Amino acid sequence: MTDETMTVFIVDDDESIREALLNLLESEGLSARLFASTEAFLDEWSEQMAGCLVLDVRLPGASGVELQEKLIAAGIRIPIIFMTAHGDVPMVRKVMKAGAVEFLSKPFQREELLTAIQQAFNLEREIASERAERRAIEERMATLSPREVEVLELVTEGMLNKQIAGALEISEITVKLHRRKVMEKMRANSLAELVKMTERIRKGPIR
Amino acid sequence: MFSAEEFFVWLFRLVLKPFAAAGAFVLVAFLWTLLLQQILVYPLVFLFLCAVMGSTWFAGRMAGLFAVILSSFCVAFFFIPPVFSFAIDRSSKSYLIAYIVSAFAAAIVTSMKRRTEGMIRHARDELELRVAERTAELEKSYRELQRRERELRELTEAIPQQIWSAAPDGTFEYCNQHLLTLVGRTDSELRGNQFLELFHEEDREHFAAAWKAAIFGGERLEGEWRICCAGQKYRWFLVRALPQRTADGTITRWYGALIDVDDRERVQQQLARTQSEFARLSRVLSMGEMAVSIAHEINQPLTAVVTHGYACLGWLRAEPPNLEKARSTTQKIVDEGTRAGAVVQRIRALFSRDTMPRESVDINAVIREMARLLRDTSLRQETRIRLQLAGGLPPVEIDRVQMQQVLLNLAVNGMEAMSAITGRRRELLIGTSLGPSGEILVRVEDSGAGIAPEDAERVFDPFYSTKEGGIGVGLSICRSIIEAHEGRLWTEPRPGGGSIFQFTVPVDAHDR
Repeated sequence: MTDETMTVFIVDDDESIREALLNLLESEGLSARLFASTEAFLDEWSEQMAGCLVLDVRLPGASGVELQEKLIAAGIRIPIIFMTAHGDVPMVRKVMKAGAVEFLSKPFQREELLTAIQQAFNLEREIASERAERRAIEERMATLSPREVEVLELVTEGMLNKQIAGALEISEITVKLHRRKVMEKMRANSLAELVKMTERIRKGPIR
Repeated sequence: MFSAEEFFVWLFRLVLKPFAAAGAFVLVAFLWTLLLQQILVYPLVFLFLCAVMGSTWFAGRMAGLFAVILSSFCVAFFFIPPVFSFAIDRSSKSYLIAYIVSAFAAAIVTSMKRRTEGMIRHARDELELRVAERTAELEKSYRELQRRERELRELTEAIPQQIWSAAPDGTFEYCNQHLLTLVGRTDSELRGNQFLELFHEEDREHFAAAWKAAIFGGERLEGEWRICCAGQKYRWFLVRALPQRTADGTITRWYGALIDVDDRERVQQQLARTQSEFARLSRVLSMGEMAVSIAHEINQPLTAVVTHGYACLGWLRAEPPNLEKARSTTQKIVDEGTRAGAVVQRIRALFSRDTMPRESVDINAVIREMARLLRDTSLRQETRIRLQLAGGLPPVEIDRVQMQQVLLNLAVNGMEAMSAITGRRRELLIGTSLGPSGEILVRVEDSGAGIAPEDAERVFDPFYSTKEGGIGVGLSICRSIIEAHEGRLWTEPRPGGGSIFQFTVPVDAHDR
C-alpha cells in the first residue's frame, strides 16, 4: 500500500504516541509527519500536502473536532481518522457525520489503523482526481465567451433552443451555433455529460 | 472619803488581824516560856523572839510591831525581876533593852526577808502566769495549725484530683488518697523512686528524663504519659509539677497533680482516625472525578506499547528483517511499559489508606505530575492550566500523595469555579515562589466568581460546601494536611476577579 505521494499527518499532544505511530507507519513503509497541536498543523498546512490526518479528539488548545470544523469551513477536504482514549459516543456520531473516515479507540489494532489509512488514501485519491477533473472543467469553461456561458447556463437548466433564443433575444440558429461551440469547447459528447460537468462546478470550489 | 465598810476592812487588815496574830504568837511563846521556866532557871526570852519573827513572817510588819510591844511587856512583866511588875531594876534594864533591840532587829530582818520572799513569790507567780499564758497561746496556735493542716489535707483529699509532692531532689514524699485509690497502691509502695514503676514501660524513660530535666533546671514539669491504674489498665494523664521556692530561690518542694486526659486522648485519636478516613474518602471521591483522566493516563503508554509492538513485528517481517529498528522499538516498548507501571503505582498510592513516609522532593515536580493527571479534567472543563514555577527551589520534606491531594483539590475547585465563565478565557494558574522567610509558597489562582470575604474562612469548615452535591470536606482536609506539614493554607480574592488559594510549605531545616 506504499504510496510515495501520500503522507500521514499525525496530530497528538503525547510525544510517545506520536513516536509510536511514526515507528509503526515507517515499518509499513508509509511516510508520516508529526504535529503536537492542531495549531501547529494549520501553520504548516499547504495545498501540496496530500494524504490523511490522524487526529486525537481531545487536545489542549483547539481540539481535533474543532480542527475538523475549521477545515470544513475553509473548504479543505482532507480525510480525517480520529483517535480517542474514551469511547465518546455523541462525539463519534458528530465527527463521522462531518465526514471522518474512521474513529479509532486507543489502543487500536494495526489492521484497524492501516485499513483506515488505506480508506483515507483512497478517498484522498478520489478527492484528488475529482479535484483534477474539476480543475479541467473549470479550465475549459474559462475558454467560453460570455455569450457562450449564458447559453451553457440556460441549456443545462433544460431550456429548449427556441426558449433560449427568446430569452437572449437572438435567433434560434445563433443559439444552435453557440451550443455546438460550447459542446466542442467543453468536450462534452452529450447534453447529459454537459449537465454533469456544470453540476460538479456548482458544488463550489473544493480547495 | 472612806465608807464605813472600807474603814472596817482597813481596820481589820491593818490593826485587828496583825494584832490577833501577834497576840496568838506571843501567847504561845509566853505559855511555852512559863512551862520551860519550871525546868530551866534562865528566863528563855528567845521564844518571844521566835514569836516576833513568826508574827512578822506570817502576818506582816504591823503584827511584828505589835509582837515586839506585847512581848516586851510580857518579858518585862513576867520574867524580869521584879517579877509580876513592870518595874525593872537597874541590873535588868540593859537586858530588856537588849531584848527589845533584838526583837526589833528580828522583826526588821524577818520583815525584810518576808518582803524579799514576797517579791520573789510575786515574781515567780508572774512568771508562772506568763508561762501559762504563753503555753496557752502556743497551744492555741498549735491547734490552729493542726486545724489548718487538717483542712488542707481535707482539701487535697476532697479535690477530685491526684495530688502529690516530692522533695527537691525529686524523691516522692506525699500523695493524696485519690492518687492512691487511682493506682491501687499504698503510700509506702510509692516512696522514693518506686513511683516510676507506675508509668507505662514505653513512657517511663521519657518521663524520667523530663522529671530530671525539671529538677535540675528548676523548671515546671508538664507532659502526657500513660500511668498504670488499679486493675493494670493504662490511662493517659497530664502530669504537672511546680517547684515551691524560698525567698532566695531555693526549691523546697515540688507540688504536682495528675489530670486524667485519657478520654480526650482517645477522642483525639478517634478524630485523627476519622479524619484520615475522611481524607481517604475525599481522595477516592476526587479520584472518581479523575477516573477519566486516570484511564487516559494509563491508556496513553498502553497505546504506545501496542503500537510499537506492531511496528516491531513489521520491522521483523521485512525482507531482510530490520533488526536495528526492531531492537530500538523493543527498547521503546520497555520504556513505555515501565511508564504505564509507574502511573498505576502512582494512582494506587493515591487510593491507598496508608500514609506515605515523608520524602524530600521538588515541589515543582509534584505540581507538574499533578498537572499531567489533570490534563483530561482540564480539557473537559475547557480550562487551560498555566504553570508558573520558580526555579531553584529547595527540596521540601512532604508526604507526596497528600500534597498531590491538596493540589488536586485546589485545582479541581478552581476549575469548577470557572465553569460558569463564557466568552473569556478560562485559565487556572498554579505557581510557586520562595516566601519572605524562606518557606515555599504555592498558589492556585482562578478567575471565577470568587468568594465573598465573609465566607473566606468558612470555606475551610468541614461540611461547608457551595458546590451542588459537594460534601464539603475537601478544603478542610486540605487545611489539616497543610497544617500537618507545618504550613498554612488560606484564600484571598484575586485582583480582577476570582480567588487565590495559597499555602506554605516549610523548607527542610538542614537546607535552610
